[in-house]
Amino acid sequence: MMDVGRHPRIKLLTYSEIEEISGYIGNFRIKIRRKARYVDENECTACDECVEVCPVIVPKEHQMGLASRKAIYIPFPQAVPSAHLIDIEACLGFDPIACSKCAEKCDKNCINYDDKDKIIEFDVGSIIVATGMDVYDPTEFDEYGYTRFENVLTSMEFEILTGPGGVTKGELIRPTDRKVPKSIGFIQCVGSRCEKRGNPYCSNVCCMNTIKDTLLLKEYYHDIECKVFYVDIRASGKGFEDFYRRSKGLGVKYIRGIPGDIREDPKTKNLILTVENTSKGSIEEHELEMIVLSVGLVPRYDSDVIQKLLTLSTTSDGFLMEVHPKLTPIDAPTSGVFFAGCCEAPKDIKDSVTQASGAAARALTILSQDKVKIEAVTSIIDEDKCTSCGICADVCPYGAIIVDKKAKIPAKVIEAACKGCGTCAAECKFDAIRMRHFSDEQIMAQLEAILEENPEEKIVVFACNWCSYPGADLVGISRMQYPVSPRIVRTMCSGRVDEKFILHAFELGAPIVLVTGCHPVDCHYIDAQQWAQRRVERLWDKLERKGIRPERLQLEWISASEVGKFVKTMEELEEMRKKVTREEIEETKRILSKIKK
Amino acid sequence: MIEEADFKCLRCGHEFKAPYEKGKIEERFCPKCRSNSVRHIKKKL
Amino acid sequence: MGSETRIGVFICECGSNIAGTVNCMELMEYAKSLPDVVCVVVNRYTCAEPGQQEIRRYVCEQDLNRVVVAACTPKMHEPTFRKCVSDAGLNPYLMEMANIREHCSWVHHFDKAKATQKAKELVKSAVARARLLEPQKELEVPVTQAALVIGGGIAGIQASLDLANAGYPVWLVEKAPSIGGIMSQLNKTYPTMD
Repeated sequence: MMDVGRHPRIKLLTYSEIEEISGYIGNFRIKIRRKARYVDENECTACDECVEVCPVIVPKEHQMGLASRKAIYIPFPQAVPSAHLIDIEACLGFDPIACSKCAEKCDKNCINYDDKDKIIEFDVGSIIVATGMDVYDPTEFDEYGYTRFENVLTSMEFEILTGPGGVTKGELIRPTDRKVPKSIGFIQCVGSRCEKRGNPYCSNVCCMNTIKDTLLLKEYYHDIECKVFYVDIRASGKGFEDFYRRSKGLGVKYIRGIPGDIREDPKTKNLILTVENTSKGSIEEHELEMIVLSVGLVPRYDSDVIQKLLTLSTTSDGFLMEVHPKLTPIDAPTSGVFFAGCCEAPKDIKDSVTQASGAAARALTILSQDKVKIEAVTSIIDEDKCTSCGICADVCPYGAIIVDKKAKIPAKVIEAACKGCGTCAAECKFDAIRMRHFSDEQIMAQLEAILEENPEEKIVVFACNWCSYPGADLVGISRMQYPVSPRIVRTMCSGRVDEKFILHAFELGAPIVLVTGCHPVDCHYIDAQQWAQRRVERLWDKLERKGIRPERLQLEWISASEVGKFVKTMEELEEMRKKVTREEIEETKRILSKIKK
Repeated sequence: MIEEADFKCLRCGHEFKAPYEKGKIEERFCPKCRSNSVRHIKKKL
Repeated sequence: MGSETRIGVFICECGSNIAGTVNCMELMEYAKSLPDVVCVVVNRYTCAEPGQQEIRRYVCEQDLNRVVVAACTPKMHEPTFRKCVSDAGLNPYLMEMANIREHCSWVHHFDKAKATQKAKELVKSAVARARLLEPQKELEVPVTQAALVIGGGIAGIQASLDLANAGYPVWLVEKAPSIGGIMSQLNKTYPTMD
């Protein structure tokens, strides 16, 4: 930590939040809000004299409320930067007449109640997301009485209680009587590996954390009785199994079974836990003086902020999604962005550090070059066909198209700003926009190839490159099975799916056409997806007017992780497809060819 | 203006009422089958 | 290069991942019948070096100006094969993939006949698209040689130090008043107990 504070090439911005990220690989523009600390970070020596005179006492976040702090404080003794700050919500000095004790006490005049948030802007070539995770709140597991019994703690609270920086200076005491407990129980998988409550995934670190806790306890308090209630002990890591054996060797009892309920003895405040010991097949009761709930890890409460800023997606567990879970586990789907640590999945310190070094190496593959190439999927305007109507500029999520409607100057594309979603090409009524590498002709040719033979047996599926197409990939990777009828056509964004593609598919005899794409919140092109929805809604009305059943055009937002939704949709559409008769298809063809003429 | 409007699910056929704001695009899904193929049924004048 | 379109189709068996479901020999015979296809090659692993070597060799020997790779998802190996054809002197945008693994063999595992039929159509569709592909020039942009690390926990700290030690300026942004993250709240940590 100290190294970061001192490093000449690291500019540390704490108490800061990202407001805006624009640009693309190699050229990101970042806007940061640096929140007011009200204490000059560079001048403050953390002498603590201000803290002594501050009259306001509030719970200390860094100790999960197990200790208190003043309104002017340092988060913890080893903090970097080593400087105080004022919690302005709690401070009385915002009105200096009420209180200005700290400012009076500070000889260096570091305290400034008029301090303001600062906006800082800078450019970078690559971004590493290392936003971490939160710890699961076990309140919903009411049978464990976390909110009712003081001697039931979470593993995080236990960590703080036994930590040397804690209120007890590392002495383990139980909250009700401030005495060292003689017996302690650990309940594993609280909030993890549960389909009904908490989270279905394994949080990775809790087994080893409990084993570590038992070893520490046995080291400091030889006769303390430790019992661990578990489903499976997952100790797969270098040296981990030895750790587990050592813990068992020191007399820690491992009982296979997850307790059904905890009662408190009102007199002793001891806890009585009922558990089915599944190794013995018996119901047991254990009386313990303290219980630690080994809670899992969850995505950060505010991870959607970064997700939106960088147009990222999440997997079904809520953690940020990588390009490929096995072969590209560090890269974010947005080029130039990489993941480090628990934002991507729960992991321990070793794995976080490993991934962080990996992310740094990945970022260096960009930074070490003078220039990077940007994929050549951009739009080109045919100036002869352009009527300067301006629709393309209106729908472009990036403002990459300039058009002067009044002067009737044809539209112009700023190539570096165009990300290639193709919404402009789909919305242009005059066929004046051509998408490089995803041209109308190329997509039409694909449809013709797919529907040349037995079109009545096919479902045409348009899938966007970022959510629905990789979603269909994940269905395959998961080896889930679905009917053979769907034929997937890839476009960069659902916004690219032109009305004429859909009508052409029907004209060629497709019984069902499905448009898929990202959910609005996940759209990789800010909000280009909305144009697909508007278009489909428009087309439903149009089809009905023409005498074609609107049901044959379907819409579904399928994220890259929604494998179940993908399969369910395909199964449902297969049933719908079977009900579309040859006569109906022929009738549609007739209607559409007549319109063309 | 937000008003109550009629919607029909083009997947399962379920018809239902939901708030609707003209011109606003939001993710819609059928309360019965969860499909996004939900069509706003305009009142016939 | 003449004006005539010359397409090479490279079918990947992917061990048994594709060949276990899709009849690759039948697919090869079918692909030969498609318009502008001048050669069809089946490889055990097209993405492996021998498979890529075959692509490069055929591009040169057969004077191919389009390449269709029928294999896995383009999300996985599109960059690989773009680079491969580019090494053979072809514009990378003249390569097209047919996803006959994730979208076919893996999801229709129990109906080999229908999966083979579907694979044929996926290849046909890819060939149809390939015929209309055009060379594209990628825009080259300069790189700002600095990095942003979001989050000052153990991962953010490690990434920042690695980047800074490699000689690049790093902006480390942390929401809380101090870096350290969850790590700073922990007592001793496994497996070294420090």
